[in-house]
Amino acid sequence: MAFDSTYTRELPLVDSRSSFAEIDDTVLAPTERKPSKKWFVAFLMANTALLIGAICVGYTLYYGIGMWGNNNPVGWGFDIINFVFWIGIGHAGTLISAILFLFRQKWRTAIARFAEAMTIFAVMTAGIFPILHTGRPWLAGYLLPYPNQNALWVNFTSPLLWDVFAVSTYLTISFVFWGIGLIPDIALMRARAVSGIKKSIYAILSLGWKGSNRDWQNYERVYLILAGLSTPLVLSVHTIVSFDFAVSVIPGWHTTIFPPYFVAGAIFSGFGMVSTCLIILRKVYDMENIITLNHIEKMNKILLATGTMVGYAYGMEFFIAWYSGNPFESFVFINRAFGPYAWAYWIMIACNVGFPQLFWFKKIRRNIGITFVLVLLVNVGMWFERFVIIVTSLHRDFLPASWGMYIPTMYDLGILLGSFGLFFTLLLLFVKVMPSVSLAEIKAVVPGAQPTHHHHSEEH
Amino acid sequence: MDTVNKPISDKVSKLGYALTGIGLLIIVASFLTNKQRGAFDYLWIYMFLTSVGIGGLALTALEYLVGATWSVPFRRVCEFLAGIIPLLIILVVPLIFTMGDLFHWLHPEPGDEILAAKKPYLNMNFFLIRVAFCIVVWFIFYFFFTRNSKKQDTTKEPGLTRTNIKLSVVFAPLFFISMTMAAIDWMMSLEPHWYSTIYGVYYFAGTIVCTLAIVTFISIHLKENGYLNPRVSNDHFYSLGTLLFGFNIFWAYIAFSQFVLVWYADIPEETVWYMQRWHHGWQYVSLGLLFFHFVIPFLILLPRSIKVNLKVLKVMSVWMVLAHMLDLYWLIMPTYSSSPVFGWQELGMLLFAPGLIIVVFTMKANKENITPVGDPKLEAGLNFTL
Amino acid sequence: MLKKILKLDEDLAKDGPRSSKVHSVAALFDTPDEIIHAAAETSNAGYDKYDVYTPYPVHGMDAAMRMKETVIGKFAFLAGFTGVSLAVAMIGYMSGFDYKNIIGGKPFFNLPASIPIMFELTVLISGLFCVFGMLLLWNKLPQISNPLHDTNFMKYTSSTRFGVAIEASDAQFDVDKVKSFLAGVGGKDIEVVYYPEENIVPQTPIFNRQFIYTLILVAIVTALGTYGAIGKLVNILPFDWMHNQFKVNPQNTSTLFKDGRSMQRPVDGTVARGYMPYEYTGMPDSLVKLLSNPVPMDEKSITRGKKQYNTYCSPCHGYFGAGDSRLNGQFPNPPTLHSKKVREWADGNIYNVMTNGQNTMPSYAKQISRDDRWAIVNYIRVLQRAENAKDTDLP
Repeated sequence: MAFDSTYTRELPLVDSRSSFAEIDDTVLAPTERKPSKKWFVAFLMANTALLIGAICVGYTLYYGIGMWGNNNPVGWGFDIINFVFWIGIGHAGTLISAILFLFRQKWRTAIARFAEAMTIFAVMTAGIFPILHTGRPWLAGYLLPYPNQNALWVNFTSPLLWDVFAVSTYLTISFVFWGIGLIPDIALMRARAVSGIKKSIYAILSLGWKGSNRDWQNYERVYLILAGLSTPLVLSVHTIVSFDFAVSVIPGWHTTIFPPYFVAGAIFSGFGMVSTCLIILRKVYDMENIITLNHIEKMNKILLATGTMVGYAYGMEFFIAWYSGNPFESFVFINRAFGPYAWAYWIMIACNVGFPQLFWFKKIRRNIGITFVLVLLVNVGMWFERFVIIVTSLHRDFLPASWGMYIPTMYDLGILLGSFGLFFTLLLLFVKVMPSVSLAEIKAVVPGAQPTHHHHSEEH
Repeated sequence: MDTVNKPISDKVSKLGYALTGIGLLIIVASFLTNKQRGAFDYLWIYMFLTSVGIGGLALTALEYLVGATWSVPFRRVCEFLAGIIPLLIILVVPLIFTMGDLFHWLHPEPGDEILAAKKPYLNMNFFLIRVAFCIVVWFIFYFFFTRNSKKQDTTKEPGLTRTNIKLSVVFAPLFFISMTMAAIDWMMSLEPHWYSTIYGVYYFAGTIVCTLAIVTFISIHLKENGYLNPRVSNDHFYSLGTLLFGFNIFWAYIAFSQFVLVWYADIPEETVWYMQRWHHGWQYVSLGLLFFHFVIPFLILLPRSIKVNLKVLKVMSVWMVLAHMLDLYWLIMPTYSSSPVFGWQELGMLLFAPGLIIVVFTMKANKENITPVGDPKLEAGLNFTL
Repeated sequence: MLKKILKLDEDLAKDGPRSSKVHSVAALFDTPDEIIHAAAETSNAGYDKYDVYTPYPVHGMDAAMRMKETVIGKFAFLAGFTGVSLAVAMIGYMSGFDYKNIIGGKPFFNLPASIPIMFELTVLISGLFCVFGMLLLWNKLPQISNPLHDTNFMKYTSSTRFGVAIEASDAQFDVDKVKSFLAGVGGKDIEVVYYPEENIVPQTPIFNRQFIYTLILVAIVTALGTYGAIGKLVNILPFDWMHNQFKVNPQNTSTLFKDGRSMQRPVDGTVARGYMPYEYTGMPDSLVKLLSNPVPMDEKSITRGKKQYNTYCSPCHGYFGAGDSRLNGQFPNPPTLHSKKVREWADGNIYNVMTNGQNTMPSYAKQISRDDRWAIVNYIRVLQRAENAKDTDLP
């Protein structure tokens, strides 16, 4: 490279000029070795959380959602908070795999696969909550428009139905996106596999991919189209989630900036979670050469940018609440900041807008320890953002006579814990059985992996 | 490094001066015949020029901010467009003197409690302070960005890029605040009772679409006439076209978000703004905006082959600039008139704005390099392939 | 790790017996520049049944191989268009035509609220078409047993090196010529790939007996499973304790009674609760007055009577029974309840008027229950007493 790479921010994507064989060995090691003790400890913890959640879900199913803290003014509680939280977590995956792909951000290759897997698991986890909240989840099939014996069709004007379409489309498209990304890597695993059983499984899963250029040509085009489709899709999903609130006439919910604000918040929270998991992953599996400090720094920059965008939205909401001259609007925001849930509000502000400002400093961006603490705070802050939006807007509405408070029960907390358990269980299984870095993609950006430019232009 | 350094042809600058001159005459005549209409028209074109100016500045900063290389050969185009910013200081003066004709909040009906409550924000002095703040912020950053960039042409010092990266980081939040402020002050407060939190983002989306379109148009024109490095290839224009396409979708997304929320909640104090744009002929403008700004450009720009077809791309960039003008017209003019008006006054504005852009651009282009020859990223930018 | 890979080589070499029928000749290359060069040369030499195998897509390879642009994009657009049309048709039919419901005062079929679903279906159908079209139609996958699989060549090209394989089906194919050609363009580890034994006679799997048996088995299992699922599982009501309670439901059978019905005819002469027959209709006042008031004159009944009186009687008779309500003058004026006649009436007479009506006044038996009518009588007595209070009433 003829130019000074410092000024272009195209820092080396893979440290210490790893060869292809080394990359293969590092990335595929977890899938070829017996998992370490650390893995089992983590798996046990995740499973315990999952079990607690499952018990609480069981109670909820048996006795009904009266077990939750939802009450009359606050009809949406932990269920919708957790739904929005997990859907938001999923957004980073698609952002990394689709939007950064379209922007030719090559550094995404090291983290895309993992983030995509996170997307799928997060969306699966999120899907549990609205289905549980229907009260009778075994009748959830009625959410889809199919010709049923009651001669009823679903309500296409309801944003909750849009959610059904958006979330299921999102899950499907993310899944196939992730799936076609895995095909070449599984083909490589097939070629490396020693045992016959593994070989047959990989042979079937890889569909017999050969890596021929005639296949790659179509593959690459489809990848590009999928990226192009996923980009508006990821925007639409959280936009539609924001519509759940914003189409209403509740002050604090009905505000036009909600769609982009939710999307920015989702990306912010998603990156927080990706960072959290990757910092652990690179440590546990010795992938510091592939998921480098540069990646962490780039993600921290995105966290700073999206956190500040979210801050812009908070400010805008506050300003317009005052500017509108509508006493109810102003009240909601004053109540948020100084009412009974003020603690939640200030946690949100501190974790989402305050602490990420530390990322202005390069030293902090490149410090794994501090980064880890900050991204954990981002996760907390974004969960509280949904708490603040949902609970504070509902608990004191137009009529003081119908004010109330929302206090979650242990079943709410148990299911929240269980959702983390489910997410991490799936994630741990994923890193065990699948390559958590896209080999085909990362090899393509290793220095020297592509033909030199002059040669390339000769061929035209 | 093979750079081309020849002056822009006289024909172009003459055209620019002619358009500006005719436009200026019509503006003066318009102010003399109907002061209020003149003021609204002028506000319309002032906001358009603001779009182009701050859009150029924003794209320049964006390139530094994200460390893009492919756009380096086009960066000067953005910088030249940002050259409109110093002119905004002069261009704003007629608006200051006609504020009484523009803004209802300057003389509210007695007993209007809502406007009384907004008085701490919507008052003459604070308004002028904000206007000054915005223009000063833009000007300062314009000054430093272009100064460093120009200096680099001769010194070739890569450290200047680093300085501009730091500037761009500071500029990003300030830009969003100032741009939102400008949008709310000049356009949203035309209807002081109405409010929308997404308004700033909406204006931002339109601004970027418009500026990208102008950058695309000028770049293609420069390329066709041999002003750009021959290594600027279809891949570069494909990227520009994709960005234009993408930001146009973003604009539609923001517009739809605002519309659907207001439409769905159906609160009279909010729907009034759309009702105004759905009666007495404005509905055709609204629908026209939908098709002209989004549907048709979306379908045309969708295929990959179009984004490397420079002829079509050139036409589409002019199209998108006009679409942004229509967008601003739709935002501003319903306050002036309950049904759409278009006469010689508006035509004058339509001549003045492009004229001024051509004049500013050619002046800058003849004085400075069209390609930032000293930029350390230029080589990588020229080598860019998809 | 290296040892492991070497050992892997031995395993692969042993993999499956190969026949002597040649599938292709393959050569490996080390760098991307070499493979681009080799691909261009192969293309120039006029071979067309060949392909380049790389662990990742190499830039500029399409041009080097002189491949045509793929048309997937156009099909994706068509699929997307199908999606959006489908969404409009679905929402239009279901909401706008078949099941019209007013929701939020919006039109039955409205565009703004349909856009989210239109968009989602566009993305869904276009995306799925792309992926499955690419895999099944364009790349002809799954193709699990290609002869190139499990060769040394494939092991390298899927991981670290690049390769060209010229297939035997090419018109110019000749093993030795191709070998020397590949060596000429810089190929290393040139390898002749043979068909695996079981693959020599390409058989369409549809006519494979085992395949057909499996298909039949799958069909039976699916049919039975679906039958079971729809017939049984779907009709199971989870947590049905509110639905099934220990009580006799109407129109049901019961073993308690001889005739086996849960509903029994009432005994002759049964009087339903609250439906005591009224026997004084049409009788002269002198007889009606014999009807005695069963409701005691206490605070409870007076309060009740006041409430009912204010609701039903006061619109005509006025709040204090003076016949001076707001309707005064619009009808034949209702009489005052403080007249001598009414004061001297027995409770039964007042009750009778309320029950059967009098002159313009209709019967109130339907609106006011029996006890409430008596309570009103009590309240009227209170009003009458209050109007004619004596000094001794004062405490």
